Amino acid sequence: MEKSLFRYIWTHSKRDQMIICAVVLASLPFYFMSLDLPRQIVNQAIQGEAFRDGNPTAPFLNLSFDWPGWLGGGGSWEIFEGFQVGRVGLLMGLSFVFLFFVIVNGAFKYWINVSKGVLGERMLRRMRFDLFSMVLRFTPDALRTVKSSETATIIKDEVEPIGGFIGDAFITPVFLGTQAITALVFIMVQNVWLGLIALSVIAVQFTIIPRLRRELLRLGKQRQLASRQLAGRIAEVLDGIEVVHVHNAYGWERAEIGHRLFNLFTIRLKIYNRKFFVKTLNNFLAQLTPFFFYAIGGYFALRGTLDIGQLVAVIAAYRELPPPLKELIDWDQQRLDVQVKYDQVTQHFAEDRLGPLLESREAGEADQPLTGSFVGEDIRIAGPHGDLIIEGGAFTIELPTSVALISNGGAAASMLARILARRSLEFSGRIRIGERDLTQLPMAVTGHRIAYAGVDPILFPGSIRDNLVYGLRSKPLGRLKEDRQEMDRRIAEALRTGNPIESISDQWVDYERLGAKDENELDRILLDLLDKVGMGDTIYLFGLAGRIDPERHTSLAERLVEARHRLRDTFQSNGMADLVEPFDPACYNSQATIAENLLFGVPISDEFKGRNLADNAQFRDAIDRAEMTDDLVRMGLQIAETMTEIFEGLPPGHSLFEQFSFIGADELTEFEAILRRRGRGEGSLRREDRTRLLSLPLAYIEARHRLGLLDDAMTGRIVEARGLVREVLEKAGSAGVEFYDPEGICSAAPLRDNLLFGRVSYQVANARARVAEAVAAVVRELNLQEEVERVGLEYQVGTAGRLLSPQERASVNLVRCLVKRPDILVIDGALAPFDEARSQQLMQLLLDLLDQQSLFMVLPNDRQAGDFDVQMRFRDGQIITDKTAAPAPRPSMPEPDAPQRIAGEVA
Amino acid sequence: MTLETEVQSLRQVPMFRDVDPARLKLLAFTSERVQFAGGQRFFSQGDPSDAAYVILDGRASVLLNTPGGDIQVAELGSNALVGEMGILSDTPRSATIMAAEPTTALRIDKRVFLELLAQFPQMSLAIMRELAKRLERTNAQLVAQSSS
Repeated sequence: MEKSLFRYIWTHSKRDQMIICAVVLASLPFYFMSLDLPRQIVNQAIQGEAFRDGNPTAPFLNLSFDWPGWLGGGGSWEIFEGFQVGRVGLLMGLSFVFLFFVIVNGAFKYWINVSKGVLGERMLRRMRFDLFSMVLRFTPDALRTVKSSETATIIKDEVEPIGGFIGDAFITPVFLGTQAITALVFIMVQNVWLGLIALSVIAVQFTIIPRLRRELLRLGKQRQLASRQLAGRIAEVLDGIEVVHVHNAYGWERAEIGHRLFNLFTIRLKIYNRKFFVKTLNNFLAQLTPFFFYAIGGYFALRGTLDIGQLVAVIAAYRELPPPLKELIDWDQQRLDVQVKYDQVTQHFAEDRLGPLLESREAGEADQPLTGSFVGEDIRIAGPHGDLIIEGGAFTIELPTSVALISNGGAAASMLARILARRSLEFSGRIRIGERDLTQLPMAVTGHRIAYAGVDPILFPGSIRDNLVYGLRSKPLGRLKEDRQEMDRRIAEALRTGNPIESISDQWVDYERLGAKDENELDRILLDLLDKVGMGDTIYLFGLAGRIDPERHTSLAERLVEARHRLRDTFQSNGMADLVEPFDPACYNSQATIAENLLFGVPISDEFKGRNLADNAQFRDAIDRAEMTDDLVRMGLQIAETMTEIFEGLPPGHSLFEQFSFIGADELTEFEAILRRRGRGEGSLRREDRTRLLSLPLAYIEARHRLGLLDDAMTGRIVEARGLVREVLEKAGSAGVEFYDPEGICSAAPLRDNLLFGRVSYQVANARARVAEAVAAVVRELNLQEEVERVGLEYQVGTAGRLLSPQERASVNLVRCLVKRPDILVIDGALAPFDEARSQQLMQLLLDLLDQQSLFMVLPNDRQAGDFDVQMRFRDGQIITDKTAAPAPRPSMPEPDAPQRIAGEVA
Repeated sequence: MTLETEVQSLRQVPMFRDVDPARLKLLAFTSERVQFAGGQRFFSQGDPSDAAYVILDGRASVLLNTPGGDIQVAELGSNALVGEMGILSDTPRSATIMAAEPTTALRIDKRVFLELLAQFPQMSLAIMRELAKRLERTNAQLVAQSSS
């Protein structure tokens, strides 16, 4: 980044800045005219100077110029002689001309402001993008000290005011400066003395105020750092929240944040006091001038040396003067302020913290398979404390092969693994593959041909599929169809702001390289690999819990209803009919909540979910019409009574509350109060009380909660009310609920609900497991397993993959590496989350899958090294490579148990 | 059948006789009512103990696994409590329980049961009293056997 903010702005926006400046200058004559008109109106029209010689009419819109003296003088040149008008006509005419100039000035201001805003936004975009590009370039050294949350704050918040300033950087001083000078010149022309007074006050303003503001800048710098650190600290606490819980460090953390907030407050308080002191002073100085004008100008007017029209014009002009001046002073303040901010930002991204410019694209001729002799010579690797871990190490290995890097507890194996994977360049010596130097290979080649799986599987939020194909997205291969006009606009903006022109909606995944024709085949490859690493069942379960998009999963959507019927037949024929109570438009489902029975559908928007339903106007309207509200409120009372009775005495926060109660521990007292109010016979219930009570039975499931609240008459009425609810919601045009359709798909409901189209019975022992087995059988029978798993690929992994277990994260990480089909795969602790048997299995799997490629794997000891072709050991700073005498014949992969049992619950 | 009738059933169980009615209601509410088909097992000998059952309706056989196959050692009817020793002592099931006919039972989850005991000492006392009585009975039986 440029050291100076102004140079940065000028380099990237001089064209726009100059255009806007030109318009600003073009607007000045109009501005000047609008200043002069009040004088003309007062003197010529109102006081009648134009009619002084007894003329009944005077010229209006007369355009003539007197030749200036230095051009010979005397003569005048008339362009347009004007209209002859009367006194009222002249007044009206001049007033309308005044109005015209007001409008023209407004239009200029509008255009200038919009252009400035757009310019600022573009520069802000460029600056943010530049900073982000630098984030990608942080050196490993810098990354040890850079805090992610602070960097995020810088890019998001700290540059924001800089962006806002950019539009004003050059234009404001030009615009306001010329305005102020125009007004000043105007005053000077009217009366030199008044002009000099104004000038001297301005001079005072311009010398004192900036001095006073210097302290403000220093404080501003402090505030910026303090708030950046606050953001960093909050993120740290959040990231390490487990440690805070484990060691009960709440008190300390609270005190620490409280202290930071106090410091921040103190700084802000100082800024505040000073800022308003300066402001007050500034205002006083600005008001001082009119005082002189009234006193001195008035005196001149009384003496007759200044006519009243002139005085009015001077005062009018002066009224125009302070705003530009004030803004100019503000601009200067802002300039210093953002310069400070900019300096802070550029310090964070200082050159010495950044690596070389990234050139990830061009692979060119270097993109050859990484095979041949792999030679390391004179390798020196220093540890973090300067101790030499490898000194003068050398090796020669023929690739492809499999290499065990046996660490025996030392750091050398892992460090070498990172160097081979190009994760670290902190070594000296030469490592060559064939004729090519490993360290000189372009990123495009290494990213495509080398994969590395370390201890920490880094996942990004998104679906499992997104994470798996992450390594395949090196460059866009084709444009997806995009609105032409919109695309042109997007690309033009990108070019203007130094942003990339690629869109993430382009096709980025190189299917051909993987031997896949399209997305579906890629999914098949992914699923196959996931299955091999032992995540197949999990993906299947994710799929059952997932939601289907009829657009994306067309074939599954088409066959789902068929599967649903097949499942029902299976239940019927195997005597399992009582295991699942199907959704039937004409029957009450006693395994489902009353809300579900009333809606007969799945809520999409939050206002129909959970307790919000009781508050939803449309829903309330519908059950009012069905005359069910009173009954439901009565049920609510019964539930509240029972709950307050049986949960009484349990301490708040007890897990039983969460698990079983309709009422949260903290609400118990509120419901008790409602019951007491009713007990005292305080008439009918309040509206809020009714709503709260109403929310209770909505979650009631007869079969599960067994409070005996529903009889046949009641269930019948609920089923009848269903139609009414639907009618009301549809009439209101509400899209908050997707209704069940026995012959259609409900895309708001999970896949398994669509398959079952009913609820598993709470009353039948072991129902869930049996239903799960039956579902799995039908899915297999109809060959839908792959489709279901494909839905499972859309499972969201959450922030840093936290919604997955450590084993699942590690599996996804492995598959992400494998799917790239790298020439060299480096595994360094990626199998750590697995138990020994599983990791042994996975190791065999990797050896089998990569028999045409090279595998480098860090092993803790040589117990399992026998399966590798080459064993690499580290002793006394030397690298010792042994060929395994006769690699044990690889046992073929154990066949997956067929037919596979799919575990887990289904509903 | 509703919660109330289940509470009545629990009341008939000696171990729960002295427990406060509100607590019994909580116990019933936090339990699940499950149906077993004739021949379906509640649990099998050697399974981990995860729940106790109170038979509400129907009959169940107590089977012991012997080298010669399962033999029935007892039959349980309504209001019988079964499987409580396993969850209290945290040992695997000592016998198999199989429904002799379609049977309804109240399944009391181990975790919930232990939490209730921890929360309400009065309930624990009632259980202890019952266990002490059982021990006394066993002692009496031993004395009777040794003297005979």
